[in-house]
Amino acid sequence: MSFFSRMFSNKGSKDDAKARLKLLLVHDQVDLTPAQMEAMKAEVIEVIGRYVEIDRDSIDFKLERSGGDVALVSNVPVRRVTARAV
Amino acid sequence: MSECIVITSGKGGVGKTTTSANLGVALALQGHRVAVVDADIGLRNLDVILGLENRIVYDLVHVIEGECRLKQALIRDKKVDTLYLLPAAQTRDKSAVSPEQMKDLINQMKEEFDYVLVDCPAGIEQGFRNSIAGADRALIVTTPEVSAIRDADRIIGLVEAAELPEPKLIINRFRQHMVDRGDMLDKDDILEILAIPLVGIIPDHEDVIISANRGKPVAFDEDSVVGEAYRRIARRINGEPDVPFIALESSGFWSNMKRWFGVSAAKGAV
Ligand SMILES: Nc1ncnc2c1ncn2[C@@H]1O[C@H](COP(=O)(O)OP(=O)(O)OP(=O)(O)O)[C@@H](O)[C@H]1O
Ligand SMILES: [Mg+2]
Repeated sequence: MSFFSRMFSNKGSKDDAKARLKLLLVHDQVDLTPAQMEAMKAEVIEVIGRYVEIDRDSIDFKLERSGGDVALVSNVPVRRVTARAV
Repeated sequence: MSECIVITSGKGGVGKTTTSANLGVALALQGHRVAVVDADIGLRNLDVILGLENRIVYDLVHVIEGECRLKQALIRDKKVDTLYLLPAAQTRDKSAVSPEQMKDLINQMKEEFDYVLVDCPAGIEQGFRNSIAGADRALIVTTPEVSAIRDADRIIGLVEAAELPEPKLIINRFRQHMVDRGDMLDKDDILEILAIPLVGIIPDHEDVIISANRGKPVAFDEDSVVGEAYRRIARRINGEPDVPFIALESSGFWSNMKRWFGVSAAKGAV
């Protein structure tokens, strides 16, 4: 990054470092491959989709760590609550 | 009551040896009887940082193998007479010592000293296992970088698995001016990620290199901000409550400007 572009951008490389670290540490700890994560996401979405209509394109599904604890954090936008058969 | 503290990091080159030497000096200057143990067998360095490399006759492996007594291998510091070094062997490797032998040695040393500081080698293999074997607690050294913090996290897990109490963190090579412009992880970012208590911050500073050149740890230097940082960590380690952190000032562009114009020279972080 040049001096001037840095002067005019308020986002330093530290935000990248922090985001990458958080992801890295979760995966060091949990030891799931990206393929396994994808498979889990697909299955979970499949189950939710049986109950409610969801916006499959804007689903947020990730492992997060705060302190020493890992949590699976997901945000699944619901379009419409359907009363579909279970 | 005496205590053995291991200084460890996972990643190499982040400042374990520098920290071991300086905390040894600082604790000794505060009147404690201190031994620093170089557990980096095959790659000894603590002797050089302390300026004691010409005095080595026996080493840690000689003591463990019964070739000499502990007292014969301990080297007294030139400047503070309550500080001793137990050097590592240079021509052997980590497998020359077992964790059980290390533990026995440390227990023997704790009878003579208030603090036994163990300078751990990089990695998570035998050298690490030997180093934590006799330890009562651990200090984790990291730098504000992704790879160092990742390894610190791994080591924290291993320290906890070894049933030592929660380790404390030292952040080394901190650069306030980079933090100010958003190009370095700040203390709070690192603490949020590693979730262990902080015991001190050491600025990235040329004093460390100068003191290593001379073989005289910067903790002896009354006027050095890095020396002051180490002396404060030593007080915290010794249980002194509420030792304040010195306000961090930038040593970047603006403070250089100030220096050029004779405004009080900027200092780094503690
Ligand atoms: N705060 C600092 N400011 C400037 N230089 C530093 C600082 N801390 C350490 N260094 C330099 O970094 C290098 C590595 O330091 P040191 O040998 O203490 O690390 P280490 O963790 O013991 O390494 P190893 O894993 O190889 O044992 C040295 O050249 C040292 O002078
Ligand atoms: Mg070292």
